[in-house]
Amino acid sequence: MVFFNLWSVFQWYLRPFIKWFLRKTTRLCELQRICYGDKIGAQRSCNIEKSLMLSRTRDVQEVVAFLDAVVKERRFIPTLFSEILDPTVNIIIRVKKINKKLHDSFSPLFRQCLIQIWSYRQLVDEVEELRCTHFDSNDPIHEKKLLRLWGLLMPDRPLEARITKDWQDIGFQGDDPKTDFRGMGLLGLENLLYFATEYRQASNHVLSHSLHPKYGYTFAIVGINLTSMAYYLLKDGSAKTYMFNLKQHLPSINLFHKFYCYLFYEFDKMWIESKPENMMEFSIIFKKFENAVRTELADPASVFRINIEVDTI
Amino acid sequence: MMGLLNILKKLRSNPDKELRLLLLGLDNAGKTTILKQLASEDVAHVTPTAGFNIKSVLSNGFKLNVWDIGGQRKIRPYWRNYFENTDILIYVVDCSDHQRLEETSLELAELLQDDKLRGVPLLVYANKQDLATALPASEVATLLGLHLIRDRTWQIQACVATDGTGVKEGMEWVCKNIPIKK
Repeated sequence: MVFFNLWSVFQWYLRPFIKWFLRKTTRLCELQRICYGDKIGAQRSCNIEKSLMLSRTRDVQEVVAFLDAVVKERRFIPTLFSEILDPTVNIIIRVKKINKKLHDSFSPLFRQCLIQIWSYRQLVDEVEELRCTHFDSNDPIHEKKLLRLWGLLMPDRPLEARITKDWQDIGFQGDDPKTDFRGMGLLGLENLLYFATEYRQASNHVLSHSLHPKYGYTFAIVGINLTSMAYYLLKDGSAKTYMFNLKQHLPSINLFHKFYCYLFYEFDKMWIESKPENMMEFSIIFKKFENAVRTELADPASVFRINIEVDTI
Repeated sequence: MMGLLNILKKLRSNPDKELRLLLLGLDNAGKTTILKQLASEDVAHVTPTAGFNIKSVLSNGFKLNVWDIGGQRKIRPYWRNYFENTDILIYVVDCSDHQRLEETSLELAELLQDDKLRGVPLLVYANKQDLATALPASEVATLLGLHLIRDRTWQIQACVATDGTGVKEGMEWVCKNIPIKK
């Protein structure tokens, strides 16, 4: 606690002096030092975000508020980037008295960071909305999605009825999956669907593991618990490492699904390698898995390989 | 909800007394939500329990170990592994799930016949009373045949786990009925 208090005192009183000193000696503002000095990806974008959030300059605070408002309206999309970001970047350049001609590389670098930071924030909102949407068996769209999941996972076996114990074969708890979505809402179903659609081989491979007579587990329920893990990693910002270090993709709902698929695939691997006695070891192995993922995400240099490949024998 | 476990320390101040509470019931009954209420945690993000959850809550020398075991059929056979040294059995019923009242009644009857749980006080939470279709606690008690129990003290408590209504009252009963260990 004492340390924490000292740290906030430091943040508040000493940071401006240090920033001023560095500005005078390097002739660069903090945002420039980050853009030029930090490695592209999670390290740079996270430090830019921190710097912007700690800023006490009115114009910077207004820029942040403006971008947050854009995200609230879900308008932070590629086609609107120049309309939204060009004036924003110009304000920062003016406020920070950056010489545009001398530092023509700053704008694009800084802009890229803004794109990552606010795409992530918009994603958090989108994911939250999906999570809050309860699975509703009166909604034909929800029902269709659920039935599609069965079709994708069990292509050779038609479902006997809407309410049947067959659902337990893909790892739901009872005769009707609707209650299993609970706190994760539609997000849990969308995650499972994406895994089954986009990674057909991998999801089949994982599903077959879950049906193993000795090391089997409940596929869908474990999946929903992994949705919860992915959701928390996204919300507390841990997933930034993963999302900001991918060069080809911006944070988006599809990237969140990919992250989930990665977690599912890796969890399955760890589960099988652990040779669990029975399903009751789930909590322990799940915790161990979460810790491993968190450790990896804590290193800003981590790059997650997302290309899940299955050995076809 | 903070005050909930403080009741325990008020009622008894045995310094190194550890209590083992076992939460059982069918899937989707509300066990994990009750567990989270006890630990004053957010109940909005509950997921189905694969395996079990355990939370220990320390309260002035009182250590409460609450075991919440998943309710799906596949893992019910493992419930037995957690019976040993249970001080209080808490059984949770979803009162709006009419179709499975018989199933839950059978599961409970089986629990009560088990040697390892002999004499262990039983608290039944008649959960989801906020739903229009929920049966009142008294009717659930009849359906479960609680009045026929002779070998232990028992109580039924109406509750709404998601907002905490009634959970505290149930725990008050638990505190008063802590068996004295040999």
